[in-house]
Amino acid sequence: MQSHKKSAGPVVVIALFLAYLLLPLLLTFLYSAFTQWTELLPQGFTLRYYAEAFADTAFLISVLRTVAISILPVLISILAMLLVMYVVVVYHPGWEGVVQVLCTIPYALQGIILAISVLSLYSGLPLPFSNRILMLTGTYCVLVLPYVYRGIRNSLNTIRADRLIEAAELLGAGKLQAYLRVIVPNLRSGITVSALLGMAVLFGDFVVVNIIGGSYYETAQMHLYKILFRSGQLSSAVIVVLFAVTLLISGAVFYQTGKGKRS
Amino acid sequence: MAYIEFEQITKSFGASKVLQGIDLAVQKGQMITLLGPSGCGKSTLLRCLAGLESVDGGRILLDGEDITQKSAKSRNIGMVFQQYSLFPNMTAAENIAFGLTLQKRPGAEVRTMVAEAIEMVELGGKEDALPRQLSGGQQQRVALARSLVLRPKVLLLDEPLSAIDAKLRKSLQLRIKEIQRTLGITCIFVTHDQDEALMMSDVIHLFHDGRIEQSGKPIELYTGPRTRFAAEFIGNYNLLEPETFAALTGTQGAQAIAIRPEAIDIVTEAPAHDDQFYVLPAVAESYIPHGNVLRYTLYVGDVKLHADVLFRSFKVFREHQPVFLVVEKRNCLPVGDSPA
Amino acid sequence: MQNKLQRHRYLLALVPFALIVLVFELVPLCTVVLRSFLPEGQFGFTLAHYADIFSKKLYRDAVLNSVLIALFSSIIGIVLAFFGAGAACRAGAGTRRVFMSVLNMTSNFAGIPLAFAYIILLGGSGVLVLLGKQLGVAALAGYNVYSFSGLLLIYVYFQVPVATILLIPSFDALHKEWRESVSLLGGGSVVYWLRVGIPVLLPSLLGTLSILFSNAIAAYATAYALLGGNFSLLPIRISEQFAGDVVQHKEFGSALAVVLMLLMVAAAAINAHILKKNTKEGL
Repeated sequence: MQSHKKSAGPVVVIALFLAYLLLPLLLTFLYSAFTQWTELLPQGFTLRYYAEAFADTAFLISVLRTVAISILPVLISILAMLLVMYVVVVYHPGWEGVVQVLCTIPYALQGIILAISVLSLYSGLPLPFSNRILMLTGTYCVLVLPYVYRGIRNSLNTIRADRLIEAAELLGAGKLQAYLRVIVPNLRSGITVSALLGMAVLFGDFVVVNIIGGSYYETAQMHLYKILFRSGQLSSAVIVVLFAVTLLISGAVFYQTGKGKRS
Repeated sequence: MAYIEFEQITKSFGASKVLQGIDLAVQKGQMITLLGPSGCGKSTLLRCLAGLESVDGGRILLDGEDITQKSAKSRNIGMVFQQYSLFPNMTAAENIAFGLTLQKRPGAEVRTMVAEAIEMVELGGKEDALPRQLSGGQQQRVALARSLVLRPKVLLLDEPLSAIDAKLRKSLQLRIKEIQRTLGITCIFVTHDQDEALMMSDVIHLFHDGRIEQSGKPIELYTGPRTRFAAEFIGNYNLLEPETFAALTGTQGAQAIAIRPEAIDIVTEAPAHDDQFYVLPAVAESYIPHGNVLRYTLYVGDVKLHADVLFRSFKVFREHQPVFLVVEKRNCLPVGDSPA
Repeated sequence: MQNKLQRHRYLLALVPFALIVLVFELVPLCTVVLRSFLPEGQFGFTLAHYADIFSKKLYRDAVLNSVLIALFSSIIGIVLAFFGAGAACRAGAGTRRVFMSVLNMTSNFAGIPLAFAYIILLGGSGVLVLLGKQLGVAALAGYNVYSFSGLLLIYVYFQVPVATILLIPSFDALHKEWRESVSLLGGGSVVYWLRVGIPVLLPSLLGTLSILFSNAIAAYATAYALLGGNFSLLPIRISEQFAGDVVQHKEFGSALAVVLMLLMVAAAAINAHILKKNTKEGL
């Protein structure tokens, strides 16, 4: 009889949460779609701010820059992680701890510390070290390491990589062969999740690109900051667009992990 | 010269000595079993033979060749694991073909050999199934075919049927035995299930704490355990301390005595005296049906004994019924504390 | 000799990872720590930078503000998340799915967009402010979002989804039977949570608290967008030391960064200590 009482409670709490969490999003969307909001309710529905946003070449180019700088670090990190995991899974399982620590440090220390540590060290040095794009790419590689590590490590654990390697070896495969033909094909879902998570993180980053990129490389988030106080509605439109992209990416992650769980 | 020889194999994991000087010989074409409780070292010995673990000391010889330092992939030894370890991204046929494709054999040859292997394990129709679409028993048969198709010198099976339900286990045991006989392949089987060992092996090696406690044919091991541990592990022996046995029968020995439950006859009247037999007055207490056998718990004084009686008629001894136990003297086996 | 080299050839696979980690993670971090002890522009050893941090009001405030906002937002966040996770685990499958989707969605809404959304909400001509003016609620009408409390509100907003998502698996692990046993033994809700629920959840709660604290104390984008350099916070002050192309205070900035790292480590250590004390006594 207690459960009947309980069934109303959680729904109410969740409803409150949903209202609290969705309100700012809703407001931003409304702000982007109406010309005035001096009264209680907004007036003048229009999509012209979206048109303005998409017509703004500076914005479009900044988005392109964001995409460009987000793809390469993710690919590099995934490749590096696959290679490291080859050594750890096949030869030295004991080194797993070290790899885990190294991949958790960026998650703990976060963007600000990573950014200034790289900048302070390399900005005074001669090229190629002081090249901002290089610094940015490298820092981004480190920034996504925790996510790439988690994605691939979880996949390896699920398929019991150690046992598969043994079976493959007994069937005559060399160590590298075993890894490439048996392990890696089964990591597809882990790699996809890592890639998507990594890209979502980089897409939304501001601190690293602001500190290292500065005025050298203006990404979407930096462009947003520039126009933030210029026009409220335009900024809102840009925010909605960027958020939609991030949602698409995380939605894909959700879908992919759900697929993995169902199979 | 035996086909496989283990010479003084020692292996430790950290501080624990898992194998303490194992000497073992396996003849070609035999199916031998390493039997023992968990943690006694039997799986470790198997993995050393496969090359998945290194040995700390000793030599392993296969067909006259010292393979102690050889890598796992070049030993030409097949292994089937408890957890099947099928490659999840490949179909049954692709799993079976894996070793063959590594040998770069022509496609037609691979297809023929795979088809033969599938037929041998009776998995026709399941060639294109993925591991997750197959039952435990089917997956294990794919694992078996995958190893056998390469015609290995030795086939190792590490508790392959422990994860499979009881009913299916029986038929798989028979099938494995059949395949082994047909191919004449040397097999080493590891299990903790003594019924499985008794049924499948030509020779059983009983492991205890990293050493071989006793070796012999199944019948020998079953009817003639030489140590206390062997008597406790194989069958359901009654184990009596020397003093207890002396109190019951008047014969004092130095060693404990083991008696098989089916060697004890239960009768309602005391038989005539016979030098070959002990006759003990007892009280029947309870019984448990065990397949086609009634397992009785009886008390001689305050000494508990188990006796197995074939369930031939509806005659059953009641609780507290006084009876007589008749045991042949030669079925009272003295067992030592440690292997001689 | 040749054989030994050949056998260790696989170690080459470590090179890309090692390069990335060394060049962009380990060496820069070590440099920061070392540089914090260097006097500006010279070689030597000094604790002057650390002394400055705690003697100059500007930087003392930065440390204090950062710690306070991280502490408050984490605690408020985890309390809210506690109820949220509890509700999620008791709710039906459909409601829970919707809740999880929204949580995942809004955990991506942070940084500059979030600051802007709260400006729309509570800024000078924000929706709630206008509402307050209309209804005559002074607290809302005169609210200044460009303040500590405004920042706190925003920080709580991004802590809540993260914390809830982290806590839900632990709540799931609470066996229904424990609750039932407590009521059979005569205890109610409060007794259950105080004596069974919270002690069992303690490791997870503390771990999440640690993550929340680190998140908040190192957060940059939101504070930057809302307050710029007007409000003293550690991450902002740190970035200021490296802002110029010509004039950089690398050594001082490094010291500030080390202080930030120490604060995060301290939080984690305190958590671990509390956990150890509680698990030794209770369980």
